Order: sequence, then C-alpha cells, then structure tokens
Amino acid sequence: MKKNCIAMLLAGGQGSRLYALTQKVAKPSVPFGGKYRIIDFPLSNCANSGIDTVGVLTQYRPLQLNSYIGNGQPWDLDVTDGGVYILPPYQSAGEKGSWFSGTANAIYQNISFIESYNPENVLILSGDHIYKMDYSDMLREHVEKEAACTISVLQVSMEEATRFGIMNLGEDGYVEQFEEKPKQPKSDLASMGIYIFNWKKLREYLIADENDPKSSKDFGKNIIPKMLSAGEKLWPYRFKGYWRDVGTITSLWDANMDMLSPDLINLYDPAWPISSRSPVCPPHYAGEESEIIHSIVTEGCEVDGHVENSVLSPNVIIGRGATVNYSVLMPGAVVESGAIVEYAIVGENTVVRSGAHVGALPDGTDAWGVATCGPDIEIRSGAAVPAGAMIYTGEEV
Amino acid sequence: MNNFHGIIFAYSAAPELRELVGARTAASLPFCGRYRLIDFALSSMRNAGILDVGIIMQRDYQSLLDHIGSGKAWDMSRRSGGLRMLPPFGLPEYHTGNYTGTIEALNAVSTYIRDIPQKYLVLLLGNMCANIDLVPVMRQHRRSGAEITAICADHTPAQSHHRYVLGEDGLVKQILFDRNDEWEGLPALEGYIINKDTLLKMMDECKARNQYSFHKHAVAAFLAEGGKMCAYVHPGYAVAIRTVEAYYQASMDMLKTEYRRQMFPADRPVRTKAHEEVSTYYGERAVSRNSLVADNCKIEGSIENCIIFSGARIEKGAKLRNCIIMRGGIVGENAELDCVIADKYCSFSSGTVLKGNAKLPTVVPKGVSI
Repeated sequence: MKKNCIAMLLAGGQGSRLYALTQKVAKPSVPFGGKYRIIDFPLSNCANSGIDTVGVLTQYRPLQLNSYIGNGQPWDLDVTDGGVYILPPYQSAGEKGSWFSGTANAIYQNISFIESYNPENVLILSGDHIYKMDYSDMLREHVEKEAACTISVLQVSMEEATRFGIMNLGEDGYVEQFEEKPKQPKSDLASMGIYIFNWKKLREYLIADENDPKSSKDFGKNIIPKMLSAGEKLWPYRFKGYWRDVGTITSLWDANMDMLSPDLINLYDPAWPISSRSPVCPPHYAGEESEIIHSIVTEGCEVDGHVENSVLSPNVIIGRGATVNYSVLMPGAVVESGAIVEYAIVGENTVVRSGAHVGALPDGTDAWGVATCGPDIEIRSGAAVPAGAMIYTGEEV
Repeated sequence: MNNFHGIIFAYSAAPELRELVGARTAASLPFCGRYRLIDFALSSMRNAGILDVGIIMQRDYQSLLDHIGSGKAWDMSRRSGGLRMLPPFGLPEYHTGNYTGTIEALNAVSTYIRDIPQKYLVLLLGNMCANIDLVPVMRQHRRSGAEITAICADHTPAQSHHRYVLGEDGLVKQILFDRNDEWEGLPALEGYIINKDTLLKMMDECKARNQYSFHKHAVAAFLAEGGKMCAYVHPGYAVAIRTVEAYYQASMDMLKTEYRRQMFPADRPVRTKAHEEVSTYYGERAVSRNSLVADNCKIEGSIENCIIFSGARIEKGAKLRNCIIMRGGIVGENAELDCVIADKYCSFSSGTVLKGNAKLPTVVPKGVSI
C-alpha cells in the first residue's frame, strides 16, 4: 500500500559526548525525565502525528534499544501494514556490506526498505531531541509549498546561532543558504535536524551523493547544500515550543531539570501523550522520614531521605538521612542512608553507598560541572566524586 | 501446553462493600494506587505460566471489562486459548437473583468448563488480595495425586469463613465452617487446584440435588465420600475483600514494608492495565509521610498514611491523614480529610473538613463533589 509519509529515525550514533551514559547503550535509549527514554519523544510524536511506519536505524550498541522498542506496542505502532522496524546495517549478495558511514548513507543503505512502502515523502528524525511536534502540520506545509525538502527550524538568539546550522532565507521565504555554525550568523533560524523530503528527489540525491567520493554522506553537510546549489525548493518550517538537544551531559541534565516545570513542556497533555515502555511496579512509597520537595517521583521508588529539585526514575531507592539535590537518578539507582548526591546524574542501577558524596554545589569556576556516574557502578562508602567527574562502568570508586 | 487452566470468580457483589461496589464488582475494586483486586489473581496465574483463563462474572461487569480488555497486560491475549470473559450463558430457568454459590456460578458456564482441554483447574477468587506463587501449589498437586489441593493461609485473615482440618496422613479430613478460632485447622483462601473430572462430577451432582455451594455442599460431600484432598499453605499476606473495613485495613497494610514485599516481589510482579501516565510532582511545600503515591499526581499539600491513586491533585495547605484517594481525586486548598475513602473522581472544595474513623472510614461515592 502506498504511504504518504514514512519516518526514518537515526538512532545509530554513539552519543560520545554523553560518555559513561552511552558506554553500553545508544544515545536514544538513555533514560530521560523519570519515565522516559530519549527515543520516546520522536516515536510518540510519530504516533500522535498519524505516521504509522517508522524505520529505526541502529548501529551502535543496539541491544537495549531493540528490546525497548520491541513491536512498538507502547506507542501504538504495532499495526499491520506498517509499524516500527529496527534497521541495522546488513550485507547483500556479492557485496562486502558496511557500517552506516553517515546520516545520508544510513538512509541510502535502506532505500529498498523505503521503496517497499513507496512513500510520497520521507521524514528524517534524530533520536536525541526532547520536544513535542506535530509532524503532520509540517507535512502539510511541505506539500503546500511544493518543496523538495522542508527543514524544521527554531528561532534562537544570535549568540546561540553560532552553535547551530543556520538557514538564511530569500525574499520568497524559501531557504537560500545553509551555514553550519557560522561565526557571524545572518539569521537566527536554526535547523533542528528534522527534515521532510520528497522521496523521489531524495532518492536521486542519495544515489548521487553516494557516488561522490569527497562527500561525508551527511544530510546537513552534503545533501542540503547540494539541493540548494541545484536550485531545489527548500522550505523552512518554523517550530515554536520546547525543543532541546540532549547530546551533552550539561544539556541532558538541564533538560531533566526542565521536567520540573510543566509550563516549559507539558507532558500531562492527554491529547499529545509521550508514551514509554514502563516496567510494572507499585506506586512509589514516601517513608516516615521522607522529604520530597519540587521533584518528580515515579513508580517503584522508595524514598526515606531528603529529595529536592530532582528527577527520580522508576525503582530508585533513597535511604534514610540521604540527601539528593538537583540530581537525575536513572532507573534502579540507589542512594544509601547518609549519602549525599548533588548536581549529579546517577546511572541505572548504580549504588551510592552510605556516607559517599557525589557532586558538589556550583562554585562559580569554569572547572565546575555536573558529576556523572554511569550505570551499574558502586560508589563505595565514604568515597567522594567531585564536581564534573565522569565515572565509567567498571571503574572502582 | 501447560496442563493447568485458570478460573477466576469475579461475580461477587459483596454488599458490605457498600458504595464502593455501586457500579462494579468486588474484583474490579481499585486497590493500592493503581491496581484492581483481580490483578492479583490474574498475575498469580500469569506468573505461573497459566495463560488460559476464564473469568466468571454475572452483572455490573462494565468496569471489569474495561480494565481487562483483551488480557494483553497479563499476556493472555493469545491466538489460541488465552483469556475468556464468562457472563452467564447457562442459567437455570428458576434463576432470578445473584449467583447463590460457586457451584451455581460454575454451572452457569458449564459448557465452557466441559470444553477446557487441560487436566487441572486453578480456581481463585477475584477479590482475594494475595500474591500467591502457584508454581509450588501446582507441583504439589501433581505429585500428591490428590484430586483437590486447597490453598490455605498461614495466619487467620479477617473473616476467614472456613478452615480445613488435616489428619495424621497430612490429608484434609474435615471442613469447618464459620470459625475464626486460631487453634484448629488451616484457614482457607478459597483458592483450589482441582482435577477437571472431579469438578465436573461435583457440578453435576450438585445440580441434580439442587445445591449451589462449593464448600457446604460439594467439598463436604467429597470429603464425606473419602475423596483425596491436600492443603497447601501460602506463606504471605492474604485477605479476601468483602467489607469496607477489610478494604480499608488491607489498603493501610500496604503501607507496611513487610507486607508490600510479600505482595509485590520483583520476581512475581503484579501486572495491571497500562495507563498513559507521567511522574508525580511534589511542590515546594509538599509534606509526605508513610504514603503510597501513584503516577500523574500533584502533591502540594500534606499527606500522611495515605494511598493516593493516579491523577490526584492535593492542593496547597490541604492535610490528608489515613485517606484513600482514588483516581482523579481533587482535594482543594486547606481541606482536611481523615479516614476518608474517596472513590474515583471525587473533589473536595477548599477548606472542606471531613473525618471518619479507622473502624468506620467515611466513603465518598464515585464522582461526588463536596
């Protein structure tokens, strides 16, 4: 059956700037905001936008991601004639087969998957953004403007613009120029890395780009500039609302803290649910001596200590007399009695033994940063993990 | 194929649950923040690999149907077998009111029972608040060669209504009715493993004699005829919910860590219908003491010894003690509630004061605004 639009979600990146948090898992399956993993946001957006066919391109450490996505049931993507597909690199007869060498190459290698749905348009998404977006609205504009490609853009401040790919528009409103991290930006419209392509056009450019030995096979660096110089119509879709790239420790921590303010991004909206594959656990227990202030807590947690300005994922245990402040605790993390965790991210199933101290208050210096412990680590009793530290799984602390 | 087939009794109206069963059966009573009582029986079966299950119901079962759906949450939505909802389809002509007993309920769905391909049936009460590990019971039943294995408690639950006395050979020799004394026999949890042939014989005999009760008639006759029956003692928390007081007490028991560990062990999770939920938010002045709180709540006030279901809002300055607030409850600013059970979607306006008693908690029916 012919589809109007299918989505391809780029989930193969390592997310190397998340260090210990992506040592064992791909970035899209990093826990986020208490109940979610990062990939829940684009997957839920697809389901809510009526896009029922999603190819998830995996490459780096895909095991957890594969089992998390499963048949797509939590996002109502377990449909016949469509659904969610995990697409790892593969080998064809007579070919050596190769890893995805860039975002464009990843799509190129899956041309036959896309062809099997014969779509008019293809939506390209990345698996490291936190936002709610109606792709069907973007698709409508894309069709109206008869664009070869529509790029979702966000208005940023001129200072921030130097960190993004910036779209400069012509008088007709179409994109005229694309500049990656310009030193002197001419516009404040930043690319969000979300594209809708006319599939026939994209197919041509992917094949041409693949045969270009100088290309790094990347959408932003190669495909978009090539389309622009060929005079294709590229339309900027202006997105308004909450959008965060969570590719670094600081941005991941910041965005988690944003979850404490529902006026920034409302996850309570029944019309636009962000779904997740949640474990089955009982309601959380707030103990006799618990103090929970300006924090979010979810199922399976047992809190007996003091929790403030923090995000607790399922099955987190905070012991008696423990203090947790401005921190993100990932599923199954344990903070034993008397331990202190502040300005920190504590990975899945990591145990902070009693009397240990993770992180420190900001001291105004550049050296200060959020302390991060990867998953499955034991922070021994009495140990101190300083501000900005990065503790990897397997390290002894 | 697993040689065990589950039957859950979810028809009980339990009138002493009063307003709480106004539009539902005891089995679909919300419990412990996010569950329905029947989740325990369904999860026990699922965790023992029993995926072919019939649920016997009679009336007021809309909320039960809504909760159970296709049975997916318990992996019972199967291509063959799986979950079957069993409203009456073979009622005797004279039948007018509620099922008067378990045998009558079974006879009302006798065609289903006769077609069960498995050799053994596992019978559980839909309103039994217990996480029973059925694996050792199934093993014991097969090895003992008994026709019936009765699941019993290791303590005397409130309102235990009958007990089994064992002989020196370890087999059940006698059933005692309406006994709460601690010293004789094992209190029954009204859960059984029974050979299908044995159950069908009981159903047929009772029907011929115009009898309806599983215990008073069928089991008593079975024992009198020298049938082989064993007992299995379930080592954890267990209480049948038939009254408001029992419901309230069992809810408050879940605040005790020891009971919670018995009811929600990590290796035998209690499964339930998944809702789209977000985390619970605690405000700047929230106070929480000894409480269970489900997802999607906003706690701005103070809660102590409370069970808060999902979607509840506790506004600033509100003080709740010893309360059960079911799904979607809203407690306004500075309201004070003590020993109140608020059914789903109740709201209490600012400054409301409502106090019950631990022995007689105040029940606010579904959807009422005060």
